[in-house]
Amino acid sequence: MADASRRSAPQREAGSSASSAAGDRLHDLLRRIAQRDRRAFTQLYEATSAKLYGTVLRILKERGRADDVVQEVYVTIWQKSAQFDTQRASPIAWMVAIARHAAIDELRRRPRAPHEPEEALAHTPADGPSAREHLEHEQDARRLHACLEALEAERRDMVRLAYLDGWSRADLATHFEQPVNTVKTWLHRALKQLKGCLAP
Amino acid sequence: MTDHDDIDMLAAEYVLGTLDAEERAEVARRRQQDADLDARILAWEARLAPLGDEIEAIAPGPDLLARIERRIDELETTARTPPEPEGDTDGTAQVIALRRRLGFWRGCTGLATAAALILAVVLIAPLDDRSDASPFVAIFQQDDQQPAFMLSVDLDSRRLSVQPVTAEPLPDRSYQLWIKADALGPKPRSVGVLNDDLSLPADALSDYDPELLKRATFGISIEPPGGSPTGQPTGPAIHGYLYPTDRDPASQHL
Repeated sequence: MADASRRSAPQREAGSSASSAAGDRLHDLLRRIAQRDRRAFTQLYEATSAKLYGTVLRILKERGRADDVVQEVYVTIWQKSAQFDTQRASPIAWMVAIARHAAIDELRRRPRAPHEPEEALAHTPADGPSAREHLEHEQDARRLHACLEALEAERRDMVRLAYLDGWSRADLATHFEQPVNTVKTWLHRALKQLKGCLAP
Repeated sequence: MTDHDDIDMLAAEYVLGTLDAEERAEVARRRQQDADLDARILAWEARLAPLGDEIEAIAPGPDLLARIERRIDELETTARTPPEPEGDTDGTAQVIALRRRLGFWRGCTGLATAAALILAVVLIAPLDDRSDASPFVAIFQQDDQQPAFMLSVDLDSRRLSVQPVTAEPLPDRSYQLWIKADALGPKPRSVGVLNDDLSLPADALSDYDPELLKRATFGISIEPPGGSPTGQPTGPAIHGYLYPTDRDPASQHL
């Protein structure tokens, strides 16, 4: 697979301390938003909307739908900012989780036309500016990618297509020409393997 | 052990995104009460998050921020309406949350005012820790934003209960409850005409799938005695969208 280039991404070194400073800033913005600070909200939007929009658009593929979902996502962030708990997640991870769940819920509600798997997988490349945005620390990212690499190729693809492109078990079953239950079994094995591999 | 495995895989697949709509809704509901499940979900989110590093950042269109801010304005405006003096604390909090959604909802539809129409915003909250709490639904009168009816629906048993709040029986008119959902086509369907005491049989929704109910919008219209003669609300069409209420105390920060 063409994945190798992604894992070695050298910019991670440069991004690491910058990303935790960015995390502090986002955390501060969320705290202010919880006190209904609209200017902080605008700043948060400016700092994070490309990331969240990219995440949602990758899953939904249509700008109109992505607009609607991202709109809901930011309203949710506005409403739930007081619930953000820095002990439990980083600010950007918290926001990305809200966005991914909203996009996947929307996709399950109204599935899009049959997938173009080749195109979906071809999204793989990573050396854009976005690679500098880390959801987690550099170390975590490296470990995950090393653990993904250890998976069988098909299972790795399944994990990526599901996480990044929002594919359901049924989508995966069609593409990989396997019964849905087999897909489920493979996914579980892949996930358990990842968890074991990532365990300290 | 096996149970733990199952729960962990449920959390993992929830985060991965491979569950179907019904399973996802179930997990989303369950994590509100199940700290173990919630912790597992967060752990999986942290584990898989670096996968998202490769997602290309794409700027949204220039209008989106303004759209979002408009919605928040509407929310905030609605939220400033003082709460009802009556009712228990919990109910009042719910009503406020519901009101906020109503503003939110209105903003996205631009529905024309129609005094005879009662707008419905349907909210089905996750079950509280209190065992007697049921998923919650409320209906608002559009003109003055006072709840006219409250409706609660228990998704598991598909039982509903209608309670008038400010609504009163009208001479020579009937209230009629409607349901609208994508799966039912573009037109509202009648759930039933309210009895003289403004109640409805508890099983009026028993034919509907819980998943559908969660996404459905309900409306109440005022009709000739015995219900609409046309099979459709005789006022303008009623549309809406479903939002779960926030269960947490944090949602009461207004």
